[in-house]
Amino acid sequence: MTANRYPLLAATALATLPLMAFAQQEAGDAASEQPTIESAPEAGEGPSSPQPGQDDREDEQQDATSPEGTQPEAGPQGAARESSPQDGASDAQALAEPQDLPEVGADWPFWGGDAQATRYSPLDQITPGNVDQLERAFEYHTNDMPEGTAEGKYSPEITPLKLGDDVLMCSAMNILISIDAASGEENWRYDPGVPNEAIPYGATCRGVSIWTDPEAAEDDICKTRLIQATLDAKIIALDAEEGVPCTEFGENGMIDLWEDLGQRVPGWYAVTAPPSIVRGVIVTGAQVKDGQAEDAPSGVIRGFDARTGELAWAWDLGAPEENRDGPPEGEVYTRGTPNMWTTAVSDEELGYVYLPLGNSSVDYWGSNRSEAENEFSTALVAIDATSGEVAWSFQTVYRDVWDYDLGSQPTLVNFPHDGDTIPAIILPSKQGDIYVLNRETGESLHPVEQYQVPSRGNVEPEYLSEEQPTSTYHTLRFDPLEERDMYGMSPLDQLYCRIQFRRANYEGFFQPPTADAPYIQYPGYNGGSDWGSVAVDTDRGVIVANYNDIPNYNQLIPQEETDWPIITDGGESGEGSGKGAPQEGAPYSIRINAGWRSPITGMPCTQPPYGGIRAIDLETGETLWDRPIGTARRNGPFGVASHLPFTIGTPNNGGSVATAGGLVFIAAATDNLIRAIDIETGETLWTDVLPAGGQANPITYEADGRQYVMIAPGGHHFMETGVSDAVIAYALPE
Amino acid sequence: MSHSTTAPPKRKAGAWAVKAVAVVLAFIGIVLLGGGVYLILLGGSWYYAVAGALLLASGVFLFRMDRTGVLIYAVTWAITLAWTVWEIQFDWWAWVPRMVAPTVLLVLVLLCLPALGARRSAPNQVA
Repeated sequence: MTANRYPLLAATALATLPLMAFAQQEAGDAASEQPTIESAPEAGEGPSSPQPGQDDREDEQQDATSPEGTQPEAGPQGAARESSPQDGASDAQALAEPQDLPEVGADWPFWGGDAQATRYSPLDQITPGNVDQLERAFEYHTNDMPEGTAEGKYSPEITPLKLGDDVLMCSAMNILISIDAASGEENWRYDPGVPNEAIPYGATCRGVSIWTDPEAAEDDICKTRLIQATLDAKIIALDAEEGVPCTEFGENGMIDLWEDLGQRVPGWYAVTAPPSIVRGVIVTGAQVKDGQAEDAPSGVIRGFDARTGELAWAWDLGAPEENRDGPPEGEVYTRGTPNMWTTAVSDEELGYVYLPLGNSSVDYWGSNRSEAENEFSTALVAIDATSGEVAWSFQTVYRDVWDYDLGSQPTLVNFPHDGDTIPAIILPSKQGDIYVLNRETGESLHPVEQYQVPSRGNVEPEYLSEEQPTSTYHTLRFDPLEERDMYGMSPLDQLYCRIQFRRANYEGFFQPPTADAPYIQYPGYNGGSDWGSVAVDTDRGVIVANYNDIPNYNQLIPQEETDWPIITDGGESGEGSGKGAPQEGAPYSIRINAGWRSPITGMPCTQPPYGGIRAIDLETGETLWDRPIGTARRNGPFGVASHLPFTIGTPNNGGSVATAGGLVFIAAATDNLIRAIDIETGETLWTDVLPAGGQANPITYEADGRQYVMIAPGGHHFMETGVSDAVIAYALPE
Repeated sequence: MSHSTTAPPKRKAGAWAVKAVAVVLAFIGIVLLGGGVYLILLGGSWYYAVAGALLLASGVFLFRMDRTGVLIYAVTWAITLAWTVWEIQFDWWAWVPRMVAPTVLLVLVLLCLPALGARRSAPNQVA
């Protein structure tokens, strides 16, 4: 497959040709002077207001980029695309230069650690030699626990940030909190009052983002902003130090994302991921309730000026040109298009934001999808954040009817290649394939193999693709299931699972959905890699990837045979419901047995391990070590904890942190342990029991010369790992 | 088969225990046999039907207080062990569903031996 499966790109480029001439010149000049200022007035009717002090800002930003020097010439493509803001983009333009970004180390300033999302920290106080002395330094409680209808819906998945003296975070219901990084004392909190009815599938706030206004004076309020997108679809900007709303941003520090989406149905459009910020543009998608109806809110991706909150651009793949500045009066963004529920990564240098898109709604039926949806569903799309135009896209599933949403935040690396390094992006997927793409062009650095699917089934054979891409760099996927892989606590329930196996339609990877009998989807929609993403130790050249190894047991059910109400049991894109979804508007609803659990014992029908963690050589893609993750202590038949200390390899959600000290910190598994793993050997050197499941990414930072490892083990309803409001910091004894 | 009624109380209790084990074996055997035949029809493993038939036979013999039942179960267990090694080799987690419950049953069946001690197999007894 070629990276550019995108005819529209050509069209877009043609359409903007007249502007490109102008742009080329602009790009050429960009490094030295300030043509963007001239371009701003021509922006015409946009919602922009003239930016006071624009000139200073330009200058400051030039300085900020100078260390990297050559950036604007980085690629003809990148340069050309910078051209395109033809209208309404003056705000974005004003900020269109790369900014100086905070670095990981003492701080953890981005959700993925650094701007590249490597989840790798240069801290080395904690080492394999002393990690066994690690102890709890403090424990903070957000006091955000489920009440009323939120009961049983909490999956906070919180990853804090650390900046300066503070740890900044959100709670499950989007309460913004600042605590002291060394003591855990609360500095302030801000409760936006998200109602329970806004909870989509789970009350989740994976994280927050920080943006520093390069133009603001050092002691200006809101110079450094804490930015959060909420379950009830708002973007909130607060001063990161004081916790007060940034009044110049949106309406009193708030933007309403429901605008231009059509009918408001609480819970149908919710943001659970931290927004990505690139060149002063806040970029966000949202989780659109999966599997409910064809007529779901749009998956539109929007960019907002981080200073003013004005819409900088919108990328509506159903109407990219028409809706770039928002839909015309009285209309809405194209409904039912693929959404991005997970976290994007920004490339400040190129000015691109890389969007891991999900699947089109509904998930398990595709014949009525538009060509644009077919083009972009389950694809990584690079958008030029200064213009909102597509730079390239790379599709990981053709015509996805498996709900293989891209769940991981990709990671930017300088990839060693033929004695040189290439600016690349690592893209993990739920199928397990890990791709390495040139981040300027979207081309895979390794051949992409075309897998011939075993069958296109009998439900919509004309729609489904005969082949699917797979990575020759690395895959976390295992061999197809066989009858002997069936599990149980005894021969009796194992026999039951074997019968289920034989009754199902299953011919291997990319088994198409069927209605005449159940079918097996393996890997299931939980991965491979999910939102926890991978960590990349860029010093040692090692990718650390935890993964799930679990099938789903599904069946399409003709609509006339079901009368499931909409909303009740839909799934989060990415984690999905365990039971099914009505898929209204499609001829079939879908019945899902997530993890293919035996109805007799509640245990998985397939044998362990159900999850593992693997170290991969960055340069070669070869496995360095691979181990099951998660002990059996909390798992057992009939939902009874076995208390067995053996590592069995459990389902896991949540990522890892790698440190220069040579350790990998990860919880993720359903055993509610956090552990430190030797990155060289894969050996677990230290564990601690958490109050609930650590389905969250840990972080590490330094305060007063002491290295801390922090995790917010909020538990997860779908993973059945309890619920907690604790935020725990570990450190070596003083 | 009226011997048990004339047996001393201790022996009588032992006989009831053996019969209980026999019923359990027979029940499991019936389920495995039925499901196993279905699995064969679906193209799956023959082990379950075979094991089910043997368990049923073992249960029937034990219910008759016949030591042949113990022998049949021991053979079934050995077949299970061989089949486990053949099918999944030494992946120990995969041994759990295949060997743990059959081994627990093996212990129970062996515990029946004292109660069956006086009588060899039924035909011998008659002889």
